[in-house]
Amino acid sequence: MIAQTVAVALLGAVAVWFGAAVFRTSSMVRSALSLLASMAAIGGMFLAMEAEFLGVLQLMMMATEMAIMAVFMVMYMMDPGGLGQMDMSHQKRLSLASGVLAGLAALAIAFLGGWGPVAATAPDAAAQTRALGIEMMTRSLLVFETAAVTILVAMIASVAVAIARRR
Amino acid sequence: MTTLLVALAIGAVLFAIGLYGALSQTNLVMIMMGVELMLGGAMVNLVAFWRFLHPERIEGQMFVLIVMTVMAIEAAVGFGLGTARFRAKGSVEMEEAAELKG
Repeated sequence: MIAQTVAVALLGAVAVWFGAAVFRTSSMVRSALSLLASMAAIGGMFLAMEAEFLGVLQLMMMATEMAIMAVFMVMYMMDPGGLGQMDMSHQKRLSLASGVLAGLAALAIAFLGGWGPVAATAPDAAAQTRALGIEMMTRSLLVFETAAVTILVAMIASVAVAIARRR
Repeated sequence: MTTLLVALAIGAVLFAIGLYGALSQTNLVMIMMGVELMLGGAMVNLVAFWRFLHPERIEGQMFVLIVMTVMAIEAAVGFGLGTARFRAKGSVEMEEAAELKG
């Protein structure tokens, strides 16, 4: 249990460090890479919390998504490397105040909430994955199918919106 | 209990950083990054709740899968809109998109 706590805390510190680094650099590519590192650390936290399937999924999915994000950054920006030191922020004080308030509220709920007894063990990875598969194909089938159709619609709509108009 | 609290605290800090980023950035892709961090914080909380409160209930993991789907949809829609905006105006700076106000 102590090893698990240390692993979760260390990986969490990495996730927070790189999460903050996303908005501290003027280079868009570095921002994308920092977000990739933060998301990978979150995947590591999932593994440390014994959610193996979700951990591996998070690592694979986020690595792909951030690579795509970096490509779009280079496409959209005149200065993706941040050499011109462009400032791309506004209303910093308000944003900072909102972030701090939301964080404090969430921390207060976390530390003051009565969470009840904590489970000592979790099912092994194979049992979890099997249970998740059965859950997806039985009770949560409608949710799963709705999510699948929604993502398909989003993909088609995005391509339709983004495609160049023929004259 | 300590591990649960550590995970919840990390989730809260990630959410706060994401909110700051989503509100303070003017570039569409950077705003999307802020939203991704907020959803990342939510996922950490969900996994922590599943692991330390009800590991026998797999619905907790199902909820995380749905949040991952939301992240993918957000990215697909965001990049679609970004590309359309870039084609029309040559920029994805949201400060230049004031005409989208209702």
